[in-house]
Amino acid sequence: MADSSNTEYILRTHNLVKRYKNVVALDHVSINIRRSTIHGLLGENGAGKSTLVSLISGLTAPTEGTITFAGEQVQGFDVKQMEALGVFLVTQEPMIVESMSVADNLMLGHWPVKRGLMRRVDQRALMANAVAALEGTGLDPRMPARTLSAVAKRKLNILRALHSGGKLLILDEPTAALTLADREHLFGFMRSLKAQGVSFVFISHYNEEILGICDAVSVLRNGRLAGEMDDISSINSDSLSELVIGRDVPLFYRDRATRHDHATSEGWQVEGLVAPNIAVDNFTIAPGEIVGFAGLPGSGAKEFGLSLFGLNRAKQGHITHDNQRYGFAQHPEDAFARGIAYLSDDRHRDGLVGLQSIAQNITLSSLSKVSRGGVIDASAEKQVVKRYFDHLRVKAVTPNVLLGTLSGGNQQKVCLGRVLATEPKLLILDEPTRGIDVGVKEEVHRIIDALTREGLSVIVITSDLDEMVRMVDRVCIFVGGQIEQEFTGADIDKDAILQAAFGTALAH
Amino acid sequence: MQPRSEFPAHPSPSNAAPMSPQPAAPVAATRRSKTGVQWLFQNVVWLWLAALIVIFGVLNPFFFTLSNLQNVLVQATVLGLLALAVSLPLMVAEIDLSIASNMGFSAAIGAIVTTRLGLSPAIGVPVGIAAATAIGFFNGLCVTRLRMVSLIQTLAVMIVLQGSLLAVTQGNTISDMPNLYIWIGQTTIGNWPVMPVVFLVALLGMGFLLRKTVLGRSLYATGGNALAANSAGIRVNRVKIIAFTLSGLLSGVAGYLLAAWQMAITSDQGEGFLLYAIAAPIIGGVSVFGGRGGAAGILGGVLLLTVIHVGLAITEVPSFYVQMIGGILIFIAVAVDAIRVNFVSQ
Repeated sequence: MADSSNTEYILRTHNLVKRYKNVVALDHVSINIRRSTIHGLLGENGAGKSTLVSLISGLTAPTEGTITFAGEQVQGFDVKQMEALGVFLVTQEPMIVESMSVADNLMLGHWPVKRGLMRRVDQRALMANAVAALEGTGLDPRMPARTLSAVAKRKLNILRALHSGGKLLILDEPTAALTLADREHLFGFMRSLKAQGVSFVFISHYNEEILGICDAVSVLRNGRLAGEMDDISSINSDSLSELVIGRDVPLFYRDRATRHDHATSEGWQVEGLVAPNIAVDNFTIAPGEIVGFAGLPGSGAKEFGLSLFGLNRAKQGHITHDNQRYGFAQHPEDAFARGIAYLSDDRHRDGLVGLQSIAQNITLSSLSKVSRGGVIDASAEKQVVKRYFDHLRVKAVTPNVLLGTLSGGNQQKVCLGRVLATEPKLLILDEPTRGIDVGVKEEVHRIIDALTREGLSVIVITSDLDEMVRMVDRVCIFVGGQIEQEFTGADIDKDAILQAAFGTALAH
Repeated sequence: MQPRSEFPAHPSPSNAAPMSPQPAAPVAATRRSKTGVQWLFQNVVWLWLAALIVIFGVLNPFFFTLSNLQNVLVQATVLGLLALAVSLPLMVAEIDLSIASNMGFSAAIGAIVTTRLGLSPAIGVPVGIAAATAIGFFNGLCVTRLRMVSLIQTLAVMIVLQGSLLAVTQGNTISDMPNLYIWIGQTTIGNWPVMPVVFLVALLGMGFLLRKTVLGRSLYATGGNALAANSAGIRVNRVKIIAFTLSGLLSGVAGYLLAAWQMAITSDQGEGFLLYAIAAPIIGGVSVFGGRGGAAGILGGVLLLTVIHVGLAITEVPSFYVQMIGGILIFIAVAVDAIRVNFVSQ
């Protein structure tokens, strides 16, 4: 691309190279971000997105290459300097002091100060500034930050960067852990800021999101620029996936016709469940069936899954399986003992122990199976670990590597391995493919599908409707703590689920 | 503690390795050299220990004698048991500040049962250790069931126990223990004291517990990520209670040994041990944030502190300087450990 006017691009990189000892993390990458646009940045874990972003935001210096901001070459690489220019990195984890007010957070560390030696905070000026800055955003400056919803916290982070003079904001997976409705809300907010002249770099694993909100997109693969689309409308989801992993990813579609051919067990029946935020009179799932749960947060979809697993304590109700009747599990240990396993939607919070090895994580939920009298049988453990390490094709040198050092997709595979090692008969998956890249996602779908062929019943709680439509046999829509509606077979349709569960159609 | 951002300032070569197929061989080489430095850092306690032994030995050749080695082992026994006692709650990301006062108080209970009630030490000693265990169990209950913050809860218990010791002893020293009671602290077999055997057994037991048992795995998981451990089916509260209870048990054993060795229980018995008992495992690689550490490291930390203590005592350093120099040496050990942790987690 020839050099055009200085005003057209807010930030350009020219042949950026980053080497770590002998590893080339970024190999001659040039990207061009136009003013007042949302520029998507796509790539598998380890493709170089993180490195590129650390260079743009000044966290590290490139080995070779230059960056120009608004037509001027950036001299020296430093976070402070890039922020002074207006480049801000807004990370996944909202950096918010929960105990302080929205206004305090907005000006964190830069509070207006009264004259004098004591540097007392000028509360009045602080409030006045905050009120002005938050006008029309729906955020109340007086609210304690801890009471904010997930989407409001992300908005606050963005506003803070803008308030500090941000012109180009780098959003690192801002939609992680957001519901569909919140995602749309955040996108609307980004669009309105774009209209006011703010530029964004938007990082996401979801093609749908990139296509829905971005104006342009750059795709990285193996540290190189695999493709750059100046006009997002010229590309579709399949060709985007192909750019990301460098080959055609065959999308997985479950074959719904050929499943009901094993009747070894009668499946599971839930009756009269009453637990916080959920009341279900009757629910059954057959062996080998995959049932999808959809609903707004608090609708009961997630709570139902947690109740089955003992993390949302049931007050009433029972489960029947293989002619045996039990009360609801009161602790995950009980659930595992009865063949019910749950994979968390937030692996960092309650899915994995980063300080322990892959092997120790895999057997963490099935220690009773690999031990005798409380002493671990090393060879039995090794066998279990090898089985799931190989079966799930975890990418690591050995299973003794600390789990915390793996990429997100591989961590998720290990978490899946941990629950599968308990040999469950009913598996509850909560957003199983959130934040993992396309290749691994399809792999996970295939593994789950294969397990159901052996009689495993699966509940999938997901807000990824694409995943829902391709994977499940039946969809339960949760509204107000109850199952409101069900779809089966050919009736499973994105728009119908969206309408029923969220009451609104996605604006594209 | 665990950075969750996808943007590490310095992505490690091992993370980047799978994506670029060509430079596979150099990556392996980098990893090997990094492992070398890592090994050095992992074992820094032992290197530091060896260096100090040489220095003290040069300053006073007596340091190299067998009888000094025996002295070091005896001195390390009580500190070592307490260090193990501190490590268990640390492992699950809690802390127990009451162990040293528990040691003094429970020993007094055991001794009083023997001396004033005239019962056999075979009854008195278990009674004392049982009291210590019960106090540990109580701490565990407070921290889990009542969700009290262990730092403050055990601090309060510490003060209560110090006060109780003063009350039971009425400010006097208990010193009329029968021979059977003090046997363990005074007996030698071919000049070798018997007492360190207890520490050795406890240390081996701890190593076995941590490395080979379900409970050990559960301790690490609970300290590493309590929510994840709970979701993985581990009874986190139960594991914490067990950690505190075992901690109390070890404090009780340490208390008995200290009394048997000193042949006396003062009204402030055990005071002064606490901070060293906390420092030793941390120097040896036990993390105050939970989920990290092992028996070998704890042994290293204990020996290091004991060598500093004994070494300064015999090298004719004027007594007014001993504590200061000891403190500086410990400071260096902790600083080196911090560098190690930063290096390893990078």
